[in-house]
Amino acid sequence: MYAFCIARGCKIFANHQLVKLLIMFKMIIVLMMTAVMQAGAVVYAQKATIEVSNAPLREVFAKLRKQTGYHFLFLTDDLKAAEPVSLDVRDASLNEVLDLCFDGQPLDYQIRGKRVLISRKGPQAAVGKPLVQEREVTGTVTDENGVPLPGATISLKGSTLAIATDESGNYRIKVPDQSAVLEFSLMGFDAQEVAVNGRSVIKVALKTSVSDLDEVVVIGYGTVKRSDLTGSVSTIKSEDFNPGQSGGVQGLIQGKLPGVRVVESSGEPGGGYSISIRGAGSISAGTGPLWVVDGSPMAGGLRTFNPDDIESIEVLKDASATAIYGSRAAGGVIMVTTKKGGNVPLQINYHGSASVNHPVNNITLLTPEQYMEVSNAIIDDGGGNPEDRIESTGAGTDWMAEIFNPGALEHNHSLSFSGRLSDLNYYVSLNATDEAGVIRNSGFQRYGGRINLNYGGSNKFKFGTNLRFAHIEDQLINKAGVNENAGAVYAALFFDPTLPVRNESGGFTTAELLTINNPVAILEGEDRGRRINQFAGNVYGEYSILPSLSVRLNVGFDIGDNRNDSYLTRQTLVGAARGGVGNVDQTQNFDHVVEGTIRYAETFNDHQLGLLAGVEMQKFKSSGLSMHAEGFAADGTGTDNMALGNPETFTIGSSRAGNSLASAFGRANYTFKDRYLLTATMRADGSTRFGTNNKFGYFPSFAFAWHLGKEPFMEPVSFIDELKPRISWGRTGNQSIGDFLSITTFARGATAIWNEAQQVGLTPARLPNEDIRWETSQQLDVGLDFALFNSRVVGHFDYFQQKTFDMLMAVPLAVETGFATQIRNIGSIANRGFEFDISTRNLVRQGFSWTTNLNMATVHNEVTDIGNTLQVISGASGFTNSFLVTRVGQPLRSYFGYEVAGVWQTDDDFSQTTQNVKPGDLKYVDQDANGEINANDRVVLGNAFPDLTLSFGNTISYKNFALVVFIEGVQGVNMLNNNLVDTYFPLQNRRNKYAEPYLNRWTPENPSNKYPSFVSPGSQGQNVVNSLTVEDASYIRLKSVQLSYDFPSRLLGNALRGAQLYVAATNLKTWSDYSGFDPALNSGGDPNAMIDYNAYPLARKFQIGVKVDF
Amino acid sequence: MRIPVRLKNELTTMNTRHFIPFMLLLCSLFTSCEDMLEERPYSELDPSDVLTTVNGIEKVLVSAYGNMVWNNVKFRLTRFEGWPADLSWQTGGVENRTALTIMNWTWDASQDQFIGAYSRHYDAIRDANIILGNLDLVTGIADNKKASLTAEARFIRAWAYYRLYIYFGATPLRTSIDDPAEMPKASQEEMLQFIETELLAVIPDLPEPGAEAQYGRVTSGGARALLAKFYLNSKQWEKAAAACQDVIDMDKYQLFPSFEDLLKAENDGNSEMILVTPLSPDGPALNYMEGAFPPGFASWPEKNVVNTSWENHGTQHRLRESFYHSFDPKDKRREPILTSYVNDRGVTVDLLNGAEDNIRSFRFWPDVNAQGNRHGNDLPEIRYADILLARAEALNELNGPSEEAINLINQVRARADVHDLSVTDFATKEALRDHLVQERAWEFYEEGHRRTDLIRMGKFVEFARKRGVENAEEYRTLYPIPQSALDANPLLEQNPGY
Repeated sequence: MYAFCIARGCKIFANHQLVKLLIMFKMIIVLMMTAVMQAGAVVYAQKATIEVSNAPLREVFAKLRKQTGYHFLFLTDDLKAAEPVSLDVRDASLNEVLDLCFDGQPLDYQIRGKRVLISRKGPQAAVGKPLVQEREVTGTVTDENGVPLPGATISLKGSTLAIATDESGNYRIKVPDQSAVLEFSLMGFDAQEVAVNGRSVIKVALKTSVSDLDEVVVIGYGTVKRSDLTGSVSTIKSEDFNPGQSGGVQGLIQGKLPGVRVVESSGEPGGGYSISIRGAGSISAGTGPLWVVDGSPMAGGLRTFNPDDIESIEVLKDASATAIYGSRAAGGVIMVTTKKGGNVPLQINYHGSASVNHPVNNITLLTPEQYMEVSNAIIDDGGGNPEDRIESTGAGTDWMAEIFNPGALEHNHSLSFSGRLSDLNYYVSLNATDEAGVIRNSGFQRYGGRINLNYGGSNKFKFGTNLRFAHIEDQLINKAGVNENAGAVYAALFFDPTLPVRNESGGFTTAELLTINNPVAILEGEDRGRRINQFAGNVYGEYSILPSLSVRLNVGFDIGDNRNDSYLTRQTLVGAARGGVGNVDQTQNFDHVVEGTIRYAETFNDHQLGLLAGVEMQKFKSSGLSMHAEGFAADGTGTDNMALGNPETFTIGSSRAGNSLASAFGRANYTFKDRYLLTATMRADGSTRFGTNNKFGYFPSFAFAWHLGKEPFMEPVSFIDELKPRISWGRTGNQSIGDFLSITTFARGATAIWNEAQQVGLTPARLPNEDIRWETSQQLDVGLDFALFNSRVVGHFDYFQQKTFDMLMAVPLAVETGFATQIRNIGSIANRGFEFDISTRNLVRQGFSWTTNLNMATVHNEVTDIGNTLQVISGASGFTNSFLVTRVGQPLRSYFGYEVAGVWQTDDDFSQTTQNVKPGDLKYVDQDANGEINANDRVVLGNAFPDLTLSFGNTISYKNFALVVFIEGVQGVNMLNNNLVDTYFPLQNRRNKYAEPYLNRWTPENPSNKYPSFVSPGSQGQNVVNSLTVEDASYIRLKSVQLSYDFPSRLLGNALRGAQLYVAATNLKTWSDYSGFDPALNSGGDPNAMIDYNAYPLARKFQIGVKVDF
Repeated sequence: MRIPVRLKNELTTMNTRHFIPFMLLLCSLFTSCEDMLEERPYSELDPSDVLTTVNGIEKVLVSAYGNMVWNNVKFRLTRFEGWPADLSWQTGGVENRTALTIMNWTWDASQDQFIGAYSRHYDAIRDANIILGNLDLVTGIADNKKASLTAEARFIRAWAYYRLYIYFGATPLRTSIDDPAEMPKASQEEMLQFIETELLAVIPDLPEPGAEAQYGRVTSGGARALLAKFYLNSKQWEKAAAACQDVIDMDKYQLFPSFEDLLKAENDGNSEMILVTPLSPDGPALNYMEGAFPPGFASWPEKNVVNTSWENHGTQHRLRESFYHSFDPKDKRREPILTSYVNDRGVTVDLLNGAEDNIRSFRFWPDVNAQGNRHGNDLPEIRYADILLARAEALNELNGPSEEAINLINQVRARADVHDLSVTDFATKEALRDHLVQERAWEFYEEGHRRTDLIRMGKFVEFARKRGVENAEEYRTLYPIPQSALDANPLLEQNPGY
């Protein structure tokens, strides 16, 4: 990890703390690896040498295991019935030794793979105390595919009675009464409990228990065993989700998966996230991933998810995995899979948690005294109006403290009912979340539910549904706007700290020299709410024509209704000036997808073939309504009766739009000798967004993986469980641009006043581009999956190279045409990087285990072509604009501004510059050496693509306790601190500022070369984006610590099947040089061009929770 | 387990029954995809619905007029015409970041106000060209209607080119929707000729003042006045004098009696207004006062101005005291200058004897119906006083001081209650010109003409240097072609010096 950075010359290690941490990381990894290597560095022999006398079987098994590497699986009770043995064998085969051991014993053994299964002889060898045997139950135990399982153990719950299945998987057991419960178990499969319920025949299909290699991974239109994956897919199971994340799916996986960057745009309840996978491949079209929920691609609604309903999240990263989603997959694909009912009787799970949340605030502002002292000193030095001198501070107010709500309470409840009823698996859940924000008067409430039903069993026909519904009520605070239109965070940062909250007459104080609201007046005078209703899900049916051939139809839908209200009362400056201002915006969407697939899977000797073909239709429809009114008679009714406003101020708006996709796709998997795996996919997408001349796009992919570890010549290397190099190539598309770009339409134009009344004009909406098409990303991925030492070390490594071409870009048009830009397919961007993750089980001793996960990723982004355009300058945040540049040879949207060389000193040569500068002013680098600092002196100051992202998780469990510690970090990344801009270049002298630069400002006595005098900060014009305000936003964060305790069954009694109590802490500590609220809080929302401006601070959460299974 | 034969059959039929609708659904998916890829832009109009009807064309014309109103209306008064010149300046707020470069004459091509103004005028030109290129498609349009719509569109286009010329010099001359996207600058002569011939051509087809369909649309008087100002600013003195006389001879316009009340919102549309940009609190509105109000402005007791609901921003639009003191104390035109006020703590603040150059222009008297910072005062483009002083100036430039010129000036001074001038007061053409520099300052301060007047009269650079602006260079009499316009059109050249 170190090497990447040094090679790229990044400057992140300037911070000693970070260096130390990184070195610490490195050492931990080295130690960890060494420990694991030693534990596993035994070369297993094929033959065994055993010399024991009158030894218990268990001891013999232990010796055999050491020498041969075979695992022995048995029930302890079974071994109790066995006689001790005496052996003296040399270089004997395993079978020979075992035959000797089991001679005359009441036990039998079978060798399956690397495991030796030990069971009692004979199907009816019931032992234990005699029971009143009133009823006999018979049946068969099979695996999921109906293959009989011999040697499975069936035991009667609550007794010591146990029997095993015969060679055909049949069993016969006597049970005392109808309410008896049978436990079916077999090593390698998940144990299952089945209530007899009066039945005499019970067939059971055991589910293969999942090891890392056998786990099933969800991919596009199907699933695959992890060992059979040919593409790059990262998986996270619900138990590994970040704790304390109630407001969005993205937070659950933040930092957990290499190459998947989740950045919070707001710390408010209900969240705000942006997510990018493997960099960014587009200038003008969206770069976010496609979300697929239970197999149905859907847009939005991530807030409405109950985290407890999610089983796993898979992120498809390389083109082999994503190309089957074609024109929307260039930003990667995230698959969310929700929980299904298991093959068990009714289980009731309750998960409740409560937390106390505190704002994380690293900003130090001037105190009232410092504020007075510094403001007056600057006035004395000639900056500002002598009349504005401050005479006394009064009591002063800590405005941050006034708006914060430390100790904000949050509680979450989730109740689920799941299980199996005849051929129907069900999972039904309800959830409620109520989270108060760490800023007063903000909060989030969600009430939701889920119904997942799957009918199947042994029938050829299967169907099922996954339904999600939720209602959200959000109290928001204003995060946008500037001056009197800004929100509480902005006001708290800048408001005069010498003023009290309220004046003598009880009203809110105002500051006449500031066009900013009193921060408390904003919180109390603004009412912003969001209500969301969502109903989404899918229904599918599947029919097996032949065992190897099936067809499936899936219909998915997403109905959303989103209403935003805001009302400014007369307590705010704007509300007072306009007599109350109300806004209501409502948007509704109805999206649906219909998808038909046909599947074929067959094995011919050494050849395995899997085929999938499908067609899909998708439609996205949305409509919006908006209204605005001012001049209300009184504030009481707010937006609940907009008609009470002054009709002259009414404005209305409505919109309706839609787009559709029609697609066909297919996939072929071919495996030869279980060792050589080939995957090919193809998708054709037709989209309404594409030009009439380019309706369909085609997206192929190919991948090859090789189970090197299974090759005969690798057999001697017994510590390798899996070694699978893989390579993939493919193309995906991006069509996240507006609708109707290929046709001419007229939309609302400029307005004019005729006869004192407003006239609405019409003007062409755009210059159409009939050739517009998807942009194409071509990606090459080389990867290696490995599992070593009985899967004690599992890891994945990927190198990828992605190139986007035919990029969708808003190409600047000659301004004289009257059209600013036209979306065209032009130019290209390249991304490349490494991803690495490794999980190790460092220690597994009796009752104690320690596992570690480490992941790292790098991404290098470079714009390689933008057609004839020289550069595209963009960026807007508050009053700061035009600070991002997209240029060939640089990362997308690099920060663009002035380089600060230092501060003008008294004895400098002022003839070098024609700028109006004095000692104490910032000294900018005159890049073109023409004596003048102007727009031509701007240079690239950095970018928001991290050189390195890393995370490091440890789980230590002892007996019933488990401790999870999770650390994540980002290195070599910049962010524009736009609040720091307002400190360096205050809009009004009397605004409060960050303390550090002002307390250490340049004066003749303190000739700082870092901080200016602030006497005339604006004298050189708009150079506000510079090497001081674009900051290094690298950080290392102790993201979460969680301690849990599982109550042992002996404490639980009969009513409970399990119970867990946990405590967790989130966002505990962050190490960073960044001077704003948080180095990863990107209120700008674009993860590839991070901007910090009046962000809602993150919450530090202390949570306690309980999980109970009935 | 064995399944009885009968049951098995039943199962099979049941499954087939499931299977058939299932397959039908599946098959329906394979039907023509092209049909499903038709999507209607519900919220936008088809060009054929807009360009073939009179009503549709008029809506495009609204957009053309609307684009002549600047995105940020006060910018013309402040950033373009005010702060680079001698009467006003600015402090405070984010505006100061830009204002400093303007007051110090260090503005550069990357600044927003330049691309804003440049592109907005070309948007108006685009709308005008769309109308002119499609009028033939309009069904059932009367000939005189077609002629007046054509004349209005051509007027807007010529007006836009006039303003571009005033600020940026010659720019690309797009006169048809079929012109190529990228065009070079027109020559100086082409530009001047185009504006002149277009204005001359449309005057006969435009309605007489008062006969326009709605107030706010151009009349023949407006076109004549613009032609007069165009001649004046391109120093075609003879034509300017004649064109002014044409406007005077129309006998439609007269000076409004009160200078103080002239620009109040309630007097919008008074008979002094020849060409205006109509503004309203709920449409495009005037936002000048947001900066003219001093901090905590509560009232101006002498004038009964009480702030009930006006937004007051951090930016401070200030006048220079030297200008205030240049007035004859009796001059009514000094009245709308705020020199002291009561702030919201009830304290009377003296602006004249406090911070330097801190007095405020209340020319655009705060509108009682304003919403926030949005005031409804119309912005005069050309008013009758301007025509009178323009003719006086043109006559002076042609023949030196004359009785007629002095009489014209005296008409304007009479309203201000200041003494008449006499032709003997001015020995030379230069002396009268210098007086006109001053007279126009008194008459038009903060009205958006100052920079243009000073440039025409050769005082722009001189005055700036006198104020101590070291960077005041002759090439800055033109603003730079905006950087993003240069980036997007390789045929475009930057103005010399930038």
